[in-house]
Amino acid sequence: MKTQLHLLALAAGLTFSVTAAQAQVNILKGGAILYETHSKTTGIKGIGIPAGADAKTGNATTLLLTYERLIDQNIGVELVIGIPPTIKAKATGTVAFLGDDILSAKNVAPTLLVNYHFGQAGDTLRPYLGAGINYTRFTGIKSKLAPSVDMSDSVGLAVQAGVDYAIDKQWGLYASIAKVQVKSDLVAVASTVLTTTIDFKPITYSIGVSYKF
Amino acid sequence: MSSIRIWAASALAAALLVACGGSDPYVPGSGSPAGAPTTKATFTSLVSFGDSLSDVGTYAPATSLAGTGAAPYFGGKFTVNGATSTVWVENLASSLGLVVTPAEVGFGTSSVKCPAAANPALANTCTAYGQGGSRVTDPNGIGKAGGALTVPVATQIANHLARFGNFKSSDLIVIFGGNNDVFVQAGTLSAKAAQIQADAAAGKLTADQANGLLLNAQLEAQGELKKAALELAGYVKTQILAKGGKYVAVWNLPDSSQTPYGASLSAQGKQTLTGLVDIFNLWLREGLTDVPVQLVDANTNFKDAYANPAKYGFINNTVPACDAAKIQVITRGAVTDGSSLFCNGTAGAPYNGLRTGADLNTWQFADGVHPTPGGHKLIADEAVKVLRSYGWI
Repeated sequence: MKTQLHLLALAAGLTFSVTAAQAQVNILKGGAILYETHSKTTGIKGIGIPAGADAKTGNATTLLLTYERLIDQNIGVELVIGIPPTIKAKATGTVAFLGDDILSAKNVAPTLLVNYHFGQAGDTLRPYLGAGINYTRFTGIKSKLAPSVDMSDSVGLAVQAGVDYAIDKQWGLYASIAKVQVKSDLVAVASTVLTTTIDFKPITYSIGVSYKF
Repeated sequence: MSSIRIWAASALAAALLVACGGSDPYVPGSGSPAGAPTTKATFTSLVSFGDSLSDVGTYAPATSLAGTGAAPYFGGKFTVNGATSTVWVENLASSLGLVVTPAEVGFGTSSVKCPAAANPALANTCTAYGQGGSRVTDPNGIGKAGGALTVPVATQIANHLARFGNFKSSDLIVIFGGNNDVFVQAGTLSAKAAQIQADAAAGKLTADQANGLLLNAQLEAQGELKKAALELAGYVKTQILAKGGKYVAVWNLPDSSQTPYGASLSAQGKQTLTGLVDIFNLWLREGLTDVPVQLVDANTNFKDAYANPAKYGFINNTVPACDAAKIQVITRGAVTDGSSLFCNGTAGAPYNGLRTGADLNTWQFADGVHPTPGGHKLIADEAVKVLRSYGWI
């Protein structure tokens, strides 16, 4: 993180010349994202809950919006937001009989990334790599097993790889794949108290349209 | 310049995000009572609420030797009865230099409140409200149909307020209730479970359906115990602390599966019973979190004694000291379950129901669940120990 900061401070210092040249420094992207989880939990624990009770989260798709500000020809700071998708969990292990929908929650997950774009402005195909931080908050949490469910917020690293394809000076297409650290402590309160920690291990796949200005 | 601002804003946003994260959700039952007195008191009364474990002789008339309800009685307490047999509430009272007598004595439709008041000098001693079979709120306790009064803890407290007006700051108030709520819910749950398992065996239910119904039945039983425990905590707050009570100690429940009765259950039955006790204790703790009382951990104390009987002077914690066959003969066939209420240990007496070779002090249990006088001493000794640690005595 420290080296990144240095790099960015350096990059920030270099931007005068770029902005002076009136280059396009703003990129808006809109698209679809598949949020694919590969979750692992610490097991579902609670008084009266059989040993080996577990759950697995599913996948979700939603719409995505990103804004990237280029600091120089190669480096940009990107904020990714999306319409919060609903992630569902199914019961597994010794409680698999409970079925496919024991928990649902919307995840609000803004991600801030610093991207490095290979090649130069004007190239038709420009791959990029990014790293940053993801914040995930769970809202609208519902479970048929418990009237009250709380999940802690998650802060974790995010890395992405993508490619931009320029159609013209303004418009383009993009595709990216990202891996994010999302971990949340869950407490469900019914007549018993259930606790677990879910490591969502999401991988996201997104595709869409970009506009530069 | 503008890009520097953006970077600064982004860095700030990231810092804020990090600051927001990691807030752990609250786990009910993870707190503790707080704010109980820490100063020594000169107690003038021991006020006890609860069930059979705290019963100092409510049902003695049911053990009338003449069979008329009149004294002399051969039983009356849920232990091995005898001239010197005391239960923990009496032991605690005498170690504080106090006398405590039953708040109500009777059986069936006939009962007398505060019989000790016949002697004016003892009019204020009838503050032992515990009755065999009593639950927290539900008046339909265990044995009610057979004539047991089973006045619930809620009404026991109301009765105290009716007689004495308020609690006093010189009252030592001890509450040990909920065991019978566990037994009632465990009974309901095991009846439901047996039906579900029979239906599954007959092919009326798939395995998944049966498992789902079993879990539901368990959640329902847990729900009833959550309710009872939170109600008990509520009475402590609104009916005791709010009405003058200052020195209040609430006992959690020991694991009923670690008794001779528990030992007779299947592994699953034991696990269920343990789970229901734990649920009650969890919600009792939650209900008393930040409440100015002391919560006495009888559960841990009993577990330790069950695992290490010798440490507490026990040589037998698996066999009831009372002989069910003898009690059946003594009660002319009326009592078949070996209830210690009808068990007397007086050597040579024709109504002696003690198992041959059993001992009142070194055997922990009188019947399936109730302690011998030695077992009661365990509760009383622990009570004195914790009261000292609180600085109350």
